[in-house]
This record gives sequence, C-alpha cells and structure tokens, in this order.
Amino acid sequence: MTVMLIVRQALSGIVRDRGVLLLVAIFAALVAVSAFLGWSATNAVNAIYGQAVDWLTAQGAVVPPNPMHQTPPLASLRNLPVYISFLGAFTAIVIGQELVETERRAGVLPLIGSRPVPRGRVAVARMLALLIATSFLTTVAGAVAILALLSLPLQMRAADWGALAWALLLGWTYMSAFGLLALGFAARLQGTAAGLLAATVVWLAITFVLPALTGNVNPTAAINPVSALALVPDTPFFHWSSRLLGPVSLSEAFGWLDARTMGYLPEGLAPRAPLPLLGLWLAFVGSAAFAFHANKTLDLNGGRDA
Amino acid sequence: MIDASHDIPAIALRGLSLRYGRHVALHPLTLDVPKAEVFGFLGHNGAGKTTTIRLLTTLLAPTHGAARVAGYDITTQAMQVRANIGYLPENVRLYDRFSTRENLTFFARLSGVQDARRRVDEVLERLGIADLSNRRVGSFSKGMRQRVGLAQAILHDPQVLFLDEPTSGLDPVGVRHLRQMIDQLRAEGMTIFMNTHLLSEVASSCSSIGVLAHGRLVFHDKVSAIAGYDERRLEELYVSVVRQEDAV
Repeated sequence: MTVMLIVRQALSGIVRDRGVLLLVAIFAALVAVSAFLGWSATNAVNAIYGQAVDWLTAQGAVVPPNPMHQTPPLASLRNLPVYISFLGAFTAIVIGQELVETERRAGVLPLIGSRPVPRGRVAVARMLALLIATSFLTTVAGAVAILALLSLPLQMRAADWGALAWALLLGWTYMSAFGLLALGFAARLQGTAAGLLAATVVWLAITFVLPALTGNVNPTAAINPVSALALVPDTPFFHWSSRLLGPVSLSEAFGWLDARTMGYLPEGLAPRAPLPLLGLWLAFVGSAAFAFHANKTLDLNGGRDA
Repeated sequence: MIDASHDIPAIALRGLSLRYGRHVALHPLTLDVPKAEVFGFLGHNGAGKTTTIRLLTTLLAPTHGAARVAGYDITTQAMQVRANIGYLPENVRLYDRFSTRENLTFFARLSGVQDARRRVDEVLERLGIADLSNRRVGSFSKGMRQRVGLAQAILHDPQVLFLDEPTSGLDPVGVRHLRQMIDQLRAEGMTIFMNTHLLSEVASSCSSIGVLAHGRLVFHDKVSAIAGYDERRLEELYVSVVRQEDAV
C-alpha cells in the first residue's frame, strides 16, 4: 500500500519532468527510425528481387529464392538493440537520477523520513518506480517493433514472436541495470551533477571504452549493429584484454545476446565473456543491491546541520 | 531508561548527544517538555537547534543518550515516534510541480490518514488556504509555502509538532496567522517544540524556553518565571547567557 503510494508519486513526478519526457520522446523517435531502416531495407531488397525475378524469367534463367526469406525476420530490426543500449540506457540513467533528485530539490526528504514508513520500503518503492519506467520504454520499443514487423511481408512464426519478447526482456534488463545504478549514485552522491556524472561515466565506459579494449571496436563501430560484432584481433594484447575485461563488458554481452536471439549473429562469433547472460543478470542484481542500500541509507536531512 | 507511563512529558531528553567524528554537534542534552506546552528553543545560527529537532524526529541517530517523544524511544521505537509527530522544516519547498491538494493528499496517505481527501479539505479550510488547493506549489510565495508546510505537518493530528524557524521569511500577517494557529493547536492539547531566534515569537507564543549555545543547553525555564517576561527582558536574558557561554 505505502510502496504503491510512493511509486505513484514518483512516477507522477517523472511524467511532469519535461527533460525526461523529451528524452523518452527522442528514444521513441529513434526506435521508430531503427524500425523504419529495417522496414525500408527489407522493402528495397524485395523490390530489387521482384525486378530480378521478372528479368530472370524473361531470360529463361533459374530464379533463386528471395534472400529476405533466408534471413530470420527479426534480423530486419538489428538497429533496435543499438538504440536500447545507447539511448534507452541513458534515458534510464536520467530517470533513476531524477527519482531521487526531484525529492531532494523539493526538500521533501525530511518530510518523508519523519513519516511512519520504513526506509527500506521507500527504497523498494523508488526501485519499483524505476523498473516501471524502464518497462514503459521497453513497451514503446516493443510496440514499434511489432508495427514494423506486421507491415513487412515477413513470415513471422510463434518462435519469432517469442524471440522478440526475449530480446525485449534482455533490453529491459540492460536499461534497468543502468537506471538502478543511477538511482544508487543519486542517493549516495549529493547534487544533480555528481550523481548523474558518476552513472554516465560508467555508461560511457561500458558502451564505448570496454569494447575498444576487448575487441578494438571503436566508438563509431560500437553503435553499428554489424561492426560491433567483430572478432577479437589476433594479437597478444587483445587476447588478454578480452579475457580480462570481457566479463564486465556489458554492452558487448547484451549485443551478442540480442544478435543471437534475433538471428543476425555472425557464424562462429564467440561472446567476449563465457556466460554473457549470467553477466547481464549479475549486473542487474548488483545494481539493484547498490540502489537498495544507497536509498535505504540515504541522508534525509538534505545536508549536515549548520 | 526513561519511564514510559502516562504521566511522562511529551518530550524527554536524557543526555542526548551527537558527534560527527571529533566535532560535537550537540553536547549531552537533558530536557523535559510537558504535554500541551509550546517550547521555544533559542540559539544563534549553528547552535545545534536543527540538529536537536532532527534527532527527535528520527532523521538522525544520536551517538549517545536517549530521548522519548510522545512516550516512545526515538532509537528503538522510531516508527511509533514518527506516527505521533508532525514536522515543519525550515524553508520547506514541497513538490513544486504538484498542486497543494496533491501534495497534502500524498503526505496524509503516507501518514496513514484513512479518509485523506476529507482530512485535506478540513486542514485547508482551517488554515484558510482552501483557495490554493488546486494551484501548483511551485508558483507560491514563501508565506504560502509555509502555510502548506504547516498543513502537511498537522494533517494526521500529531501529538507533538516540531517547527523549525516557522516564521522565517514570513510577512507580519503571516507571522500573526501562524501565532494564532500555534495558540489553537496548543489549546487542543498538542505539544509544540519550536526552534527560533526571534525573541518576539518566544514572548508571544511559548510557555517555556531553552537557550542553546555551541551545542550546549545554557538556560531552561518557564517563560512566566522570568520577571516581566516581555521581549526586552528576554533579550537581556538571552544575551547574558550566550555571553557567559562564549566566555567559557
């Protein structure tokens, strides 16, 4: 009861925050762009194939099968995981930060702290609000993906819809891990800049620095669904760095898992970490534990008394 | 341990203190505030008044000593303490994107008030701010915010009310309105613990006072026990006890 009351209040505050709304709108727009890219590419191939069929038939030649029918249908949405890991995770960070910072700015932390509500329950409520917000982002991504898939002449089987659901669940886990991390940093570090900066630095390091160190994937390549899935260069440095840093290279683990789920993983490409799914879930659980502890022990006074 | 029987004071402190490492924010403080009294806690900025309120509202944990508020121990019965107190911090802001009613309904429900909407209407009416109910708090003046802040503090009809510099930044009309409100609440049996550095406030509203200097209680008595307890007499007393402490 109390938990849901705080969740409702927190989400109402987020919904009234123009900065957050703008980010969510940009996220939705870019997800739509990613779906359009897949839709457009599929239609272009289909159109070329149609013309080729006409020409080959006129020549009396053998007509090969449509290449689009030989690739898994979800591969047409290969840009989607990039936007989830890139802008979705950053939006989750801003939401996580705002969940604490809104209350700190409003000076209501002492008012909440002097109410008969256990601190742990308040922490759980904030985490739940964050997870609901990331669920909304995932739903937006899912709705756009479904619309795109239904508008294409693709043969979607039940297993493909299941794979889409699994890919979206992976995306939710990934975004939530960063959101929870930001929720923890916002509670631990006072001030808008400090909390946001700490979470953003971790996100930047995971998104761009680690892939460069583990597989020589430069920042531009890291936001390209094809070039991000590169083999580890055959040098002693990358051999060892991929082994050492691979287990914490979360964006690569997420990219690999989604590529495998959606059917566009290059053949024979091994993940940087031996158990990428375990790494992703451990990151989620670790962020959740950090967020819970930081929010349970949050200084409710808004600074030390003079 | 402090006795928890019916006759105990509304607020009872026994050697309550707080240290931040080597810095002593509050020296051991022993003090009783009887029920249905208005206690004025005087002291200059940084004397430790707000720290004392934060300890008594369970926002901070003491390093030594004990205290009971409304009969409950602030360390071992924090939930019961919180259920029986109201708190108006200095410079309260509230959720500025929400209306007065939305703010108050949230805090009423958080305090466990059953019929929150009806209670919010009652308190808005009582404080004369019913016309502000649907306006966003972000657009309010300091005085209007302070009234809404007081409303959130009394929504659940607490036994003990903590006010931290309640008249800070208020215009004379606002100050007068707040004083009337304090008198009414005391008449209804509420105990009020008020931090202030305004002697006029003490002279007009408080039944007893304590003076805090450098984290130490240097004076504590009934206001009526001070001969000719007008603002000027209180000022002389305040200056003399603080000077003595400064000399030490």
